[in-house]
Amino acid sequence: MTEQQTIHLAAYWLPLLGCGVILCSWLAMRALRRMITTRQETPNEQIPTIDAEASGRSLIHSWDPRFKIIALLGFAFCAVSLQSPITILIALLLTIITLAIARIPWHRPLRRLLAMNGFLVMFLVVMPLTVPTHSGDTLVVFGNWQMLTCNLRGLELALIIIGKAWCVALLMEPLLATAPLGATLEGLTRLGLPGKISEMLLIAHRYLFVFLGEVQRMRSGMEARAFRPGRRWDTLRDLGNFVGMLLVRSFERTHRVYAAMQARGYTGTLPHHHQFRGAMSDWLQTTIWLGLGLGLVLVDRLGVGGF
Amino acid sequence: MHISDGVLPTSIALGAGAASLVLATWSARRSPAEDLPKVAVVSAAFFVASLVHIPLGPTSIHLLLPGVVGALLGPAAFLAILLGLVLQSLLFQFGGLTALGGNALMMGLPALACGLLFQTLRGQSRKRQAIVGALCGGLGVLGSALIMAVLLALSGEDFLGIAKLALLAHLPVVVIEAIVAGFIVSFLARVKPELLEAPFTLRKTPPVLDTERKR
Repeated sequence: MTEQQTIHLAAYWLPLLGCGVILCSWLAMRALRRMITTRQETPNEQIPTIDAEASGRSLIHSWDPRFKIIALLGFAFCAVSLQSPITILIALLLTIITLAIARIPWHRPLRRLLAMNGFLVMFLVVMPLTVPTHSGDTLVVFGNWQMLTCNLRGLELALIIIGKAWCVALLMEPLLATAPLGATLEGLTRLGLPGKISEMLLIAHRYLFVFLGEVQRMRSGMEARAFRPGRRWDTLRDLGNFVGMLLVRSFERTHRVYAAMQARGYTGTLPHHHQFRGAMSDWLQTTIWLGLGLGLVLVDRLGVGGF
Repeated sequence: MHISDGVLPTSIALGAGAASLVLATWSARRSPAEDLPKVAVVSAAFFVASLVHIPLGPTSIHLLLPGVVGALLGPAAFLAILLGLVLQSLLFQFGGLTALGGNALMMGLPALACGLLFQTLRGQSRKRQAIVGALCGGLGVLGSALIMAVLLALSGEDFLGIAKLALLAHLPVVVIEAIVAGFIVSFLARVKPELLEAPFTLRKTPPVLDTERKR
């Protein structure tokens, strides 16, 4: 059993390091945000389009959605099972290569990574401070600040979590953006998802944008009546009424929508438009992906090659 | 409030996924097939409502509304929440693909419980409905935070610290959600009280269209 190692740093390192890290990450975030907003088609869009890149041409685009879903979902589960930093780095590299093959504009995956920041930064800050100390850990103590002893194992754990989360987030773009949403959902139905559920997803996705327009209209109405988010209690009451109104309208709309669907011949299922043909290349690509994922898990667990 | 990919160990992620699959099947069975498209439209509205941000100190929180979803949708609430979570992870990467099961349990179970609680305690007067609504709103978020903490704590002793912190961080959210839920329910009680009487998927007679009622 090895004792834990302790690195002593003078107390002034703590504010120095803290400020440095905060400043660097703030600057990086700001630069990234600016890059993303300048690349957007319309700067005010609140909800990105899922399948914006569906018309592109690449190896990933021509991949049958059914096979693509199985391969990438399987790979995602393999990726979150990894435990060593090196295999996670390899998995990240593979997903980045996929993004390059699919020729997806980089601001889309970047946006996904930014969305997770809050949750992941919390891990990065909290884990080093709260992880219980085991033998073999390296501790960093700043002068007399025993309260703020950092455990480097916690930092490593947090970084591993961030790596895995990024890996899956980057896979989402090739998985979803390279085929029309309808095709992806039909692929899921062929794979055994009940047709009702994929239909509900399609309807919910459609009406998201309708209600978003409604919210914007209601908001400009509120602002025209001099609503300013401010004094706590009044703001909460106004927001409660706002959400209540949105719900009332949605419940009224849902019956109208259903009546309209029936008037257009809806009998319980939406018609299918997509033809799926599994070619040799689909099988090959899927086998390669699943093989890579399982291989990484094997290397990770058995420690092959001294990892 | 979502757990992202890579936090939960694969065994827990898969177990939670299986549990929420069972619950979603139950939820879909309990609602008549022709009501499912309607549930989809209403879950889109809840999704949009959850994009509303409320300033809180230096940051802002967004509404979660598990209690209100449960009170209005009854057993279909779980399905609606699962739909919302899938859309959130597809569109914004809030939550994650592999953590979907865990997130669904976290938000869906309190919603089902609050729905039941609201229907039993609701009473008739508007004031009482608003208070019970606020109670459900607060308890819903509290329940979600508790399940989140349990899921994190199950992931290993290394996550105990962060589980406690996540629970603490949600306490102010519980208060705000309770107040807003109370206002929402009191608004609905004034404007459209039949929405609160029973979840529409459980009603025997199909609801009358507004245009028909006017005639």
